Amino acid sequence: MSTESVLTADQRDALQELMNISMGQAANSLAHLIETKIGISIPKIASVTPEQLFSMISEQADAYYTRQSFLGDIQGEVMSVVSQQGLCEVGALLEYDAPLSQTDIQEIILELSNILAGACLAGLSAQLALGTNLNMPTLFSPRKANFEEFQWSNSLVMEVQFDIEISSFSMRVVFCLDDASLDRLTQTLDELLG
Amino acid sequence: MTVRVLVADDSRLSRRSVIKALPPELNYAIDEAANGKEAIALLNKASFELMLLDLTMPEIDGVGVLEYLADKTEKPHVVVISADFQPEKQRIVMSLGAAKFIRKPLDQEELAMTLFELGYL
Repeated sequence: MSTESVLTADQRDALQELMNISMGQAANSLAHLIETKIGISIPKIASVTPEQLFSMISEQADAYYTRQSFLGDIQGEVMSVVSQQGLCEVGALLEYDAPLSQTDIQEIILELSNILAGACLAGLSAQLALGTNLNMPTLFSPRKANFEEFQWSNSLVMEVQFDIEISSFSMRVVFCLDDASLDRLTQTLDELLG
Repeated sequence: MTVRVLVADDSRLSRRSVIKALPPELNYAIDEAANGKEAIALLNKASFELMLLDLTMPEIDGVGVLEYLADKTEKPHVVVISADFQPEKQRIVMSLGAAKFIRKPLDQEELAMTLFELGYL
């Protein structure tokens, strides 16, 4: 995986910083909801093929997966990888009664995906003055999904990780952009860099 | 008056925008660090009056830099400029001696007001 083919060093640096600001806003939204500190990673940005994306998404064992598409000035898909470990503690912080039912688990996963992915996308779009709309997340299994159906051969993924420090819970959010959106994004970054 | 400033942020764009946001009324001698390790090396080599510090950085993060400075007698005013503005994070950095916490994206007027409060303007 590399970024050399799709982004210059300055574009990559700018995008990483914009993602960092967006994920800070996302973490703050969730921290307010569960009144607990959220750890955030340095964003990773890479260019991947659909096969590499599949490996990247499914490398974590014992996880739940959601995907949600977004449309607008840039379009693509956000995938969230939610650890099964620690989810009960997060459920308790969200005031769900133990033990969690299957419906509770699904609700928590979809809610977390929506908050974190939504805030990340909103922050990124606002800083770049791009209009985007995020659809509702759905649960999916990477092994059953067809990654070859993607309409791109090599696209940009932006990955961030959130950890809830009082439990072993972690969540990764991966943004995938199609080719046209990647062009639009690089143009906008160039304007920002002046 | 020339203010010796250390800007520590892993993003070149961010360092550039912080430097551009400094009030033009003062003169500055600016050094830049791309991570906490570089910042600590510069703090060991020279003395600074003001440090504008990001938190989420590789090698050593901003909290690590504040921990390094905590027991020093001669140290700069540290203004933390970070996207990670959760209340608990703000509490930690202020308890480690930061003079002020400013959220990213940086607001030029907020930085000017902070420098005013710290007596530079």
